Amino acid sequence: MVKVTYVAHDGARVTVEAEPGESVMQAALSNDVEGIIGECGGAMMCATCHCYVDEAWEVGAGARAEGEEDMLEGAASEVTGRSRLSCQIKLAPELDGLVVHLPEEQL
Amino acid sequence: MALAPRDETITLAQLTADPYPIYRRLRSESPVLRVAAVGRTLLTKASLTKAVKDDPELFSSNDPATPMRPAFRAHTLMRKDGAEHMAERTAIAPALTPKRIQADWGPLYEKLAEEYISRLPRGGTVDLFKALCGPLAARILAHILGIPEATDDEMQRWSQALIDGAGNFGWAPEPFAASDRANDEMDALLERLRPLRIAEPDGSAYSVMLTAENPVPPSQIAATIKIAIGGGINEPRDALATALFGLLDNPGQLAEVKAQDAWGKAFEEAIRWVAPIQVSSRLVTRDTELGGCEIPAGDTVMTVQASACRDEELYENGEEFFVFRKKNPHQAFGNGPHHCAGAHVARRTVGKIILPMLFDRFPDMRLATREDVQWRGFGFRGPVNLPVALN
Repeated sequence: MVKVTYVAHDGARVTVEAEPGESVMQAALSNDVEGIIGECGGAMMCATCHCYVDEAWEVGAGARAEGEEDMLEGAASEVTGRSRLSCQIKLAPELDGLVVHLPEEQL
Repeated sequence: MALAPRDETITLAQLTADPYPIYRRLRSESPVLRVAAVGRTLLTKASLTKAVKDDPELFSSNDPATPMRPAFRAHTLMRKDGAEHMAERTAIAPALTPKRIQADWGPLYEKLAEEYISRLPRGGTVDLFKALCGPLAARILAHILGIPEATDDEMQRWSQALIDGAGNFGWAPEPFAASDRANDEMDALLERLRPLRIAEPDGSAYSVMLTAENPVPPSQIAATIKIAIGGGINEPRDALATALFGLLDNPGQLAEVKAQDAWGKAFEEAIRWVAPIQVSSRLVTRDTELGGCEIPAGDTVMTVQASACRDEELYENGEEFFVFRKKNPHQAFGNGPHHCAGAHVARRTVGKIILPMLFDRFPDMRLATREDVQWRGFGFRGPVNLPVALN
């Protein structure tokens, strides 16, 4: 199992355990983490699973997928250099302990 | 494993009048059902509808043999998969982002809403469906698309002609004659506006697609604009009318929505309760299984998101309008690659601008007679009238 911590906009932290291969979006949904909607189910079509990768994990989380940059344009909250669509971050053992921050709004 | 059971009793008339009791029965008795009257395998549970839309390789949108093709005189992005769909979808997407809507267009939408709301007559009963929901949805869409030269009536007529043509599974000649006329008019307007939208890019969908670095072919630009006309008026119109009905019919919830400024929640609940687009079709590309039933390649499955949105597995009292649900993971905007491209626009215009403004201007409005409100539709659904006393 891989541990992921979601830090809400108000600072509240939730840590969940997920299966390797699951995306950060799916892990949030299956554990009822608030602040990630993932309405399109990971097809990179809705930008409602926006997150900011924690500084410490910036490199580890990998680069944006093809098309992700364009879709991030559609995010409701501010997009920064650490913005990712969490549906595009696939969990693997080397991401154990990953921390992502959630934006103020997704819609 | 056996094929899904087959039903020969459900009629299109029943589904058009009120499908919800039927869907409730199907969810518990046979969530995978071949319905003869529809000619499709209906899927009524949320887990099934979601699974189908999340797997576009197994459940393809690519079905050029539907009446949609003659209705739009094009093979449109709605009926494409993969890279082809993605290219056309990406072309229009920049015109529909929350930032674009809020920063660039927000003030215009507010002005339009203000204009249409302030001309509603006071002191009598007004059919808000006709006087507000339809025309305002048409006006806002005309601006988003970059064709504000089209009138509200033209936009609504074109939209209806495209919808009627696309749903013309009996292949009768009249609906196609009407959609042909609409296509001629839309083509002429698009032709006339093309040089203007290129010369002065304005961030509208037409302008964005025409002036892109690598534009999609002109025929597909026109087809995408038509898809947006066909699919961009009914839905916000019906979402608005449904939200108004739900709130006016539940004064306690309305008071709470006002107190909490929870208009966005009210919008989400409205489209969950009665999803403006109730069903979608997907072509099965290889033999598979759904809900314990054999689904052969070549079958067409119909995801009933209207039913998924009331699934007992996700919702307590799903048949009721209740704004303050703890969670509302509805599928009214669909999911997968064809997730509604207009979702952000609808949420912002209907949920954040129109609803609060209308209740601010007419705080005491009420349903004239609840029983007079009629609901209709199998593919698309909403009230077809909304008599409200305005003072």
